[in-house]
Amino acid sequence: MTFGEDNELVARVVSTQDTRAFGELIRRHQSHVRNFLRKLSGDAGAADDLAQDTFMRAWDKLHTFSGRGSFIGWLLKVAYTTFLQSKRKSKRYAEILDEVGHVSVAESRTHTLPADEVTDLDKFLAVLSEEERAIMVMSYACGLSHREISDATDMPVGSVKSVIFRGKEKIRTSFDIKDHQHG
Amino acid sequence: MTSKIINMAERIKDAEDRLLDAMFESVPIADDGFSGQIVKRIRRNLWIRRITLPAAVLLGGLVAYQPVAALLKGVYQVLLSVPGDLVPSISGSLPSVQLIITGALLLFVALFSLNMLED
Repeated sequence: MTFGEDNELVARVVSTQDTRAFGELIRRHQSHVRNFLRKLSGDAGAADDLAQDTFMRAWDKLHTFSGRGSFIGWLLKVAYTTFLQSKRKSKRYAEILDEVGHVSVAESRTHTLPADEVTDLDKFLAVLSEEERAIMVMSYACGLSHREISDATDMPVGSVKSVIFRGKEKIRTSFDIKDHQHG
Repeated sequence: MTSKIINMAERIKDAEDRLLDAMFESVPIADDGFSGQIVKRIRRNLWIRRITLPAAVLLGGLVAYQPVAALLKGVYQVLLSVPGDLVPSISGSLPSVQLIITGALLLFVALFSLNMLED
């Protein structure tokens, strides 16, 4: 069986609930989605769980994909929403535990990489806010255009550009970026 | 002079962008059954959704059979006790008032149940 373009597969899934076509869409984009979530969360295991939730949600909401932008842009929007919702949930969970006097599980489980596993990128991402991190990853790791990022984050294109500018500025001031050029 | 400065600034920005591209570049993650796992989950959910409605109807029917039958019997007996002079006797070919009311009640119960199942 041969598969066509993303939009063709989406149409097939929406019209006939073809799980094989959806499987092909997952195969094509899972790497981008998982990498995006890994960079956002900093935890490979949690990111993969979120990626599963992202695709499950994408299956339910696929009929809302208009086909105007790229499919990966739409998928990253779903992934970003899933990430933010999970973050809100775990924050609320930590607050409830705090209210009842427990040590925050979320806090105690905070993922910290061993010093030798911390890459330059991890250091770069650490100085960025969550929003800046998401937009920088969409732009530089996933290769999305400013327009696609604007669609994915529901932000005007101008704001996307200024967030990228601010992110780069932060990286530039926190690190001597030239040091990494040849290393 | 100004354009030279702008060009220079753009070139510097481009170099920085290229550097960031390289920094953010990530190794592709192998599927290794990831997509298969999700498709399996989706198929399971679809299957559960497909059997939920008929199962609910069957179970609901089994549970409701006795009380509904008793209710209908009671209604029928109440209707039988309606005095004959209250019922207009137009002709024998038309359904009786009792039958019409019973039918309407059954229709109401059926529509109500279907609506509940749909919700």
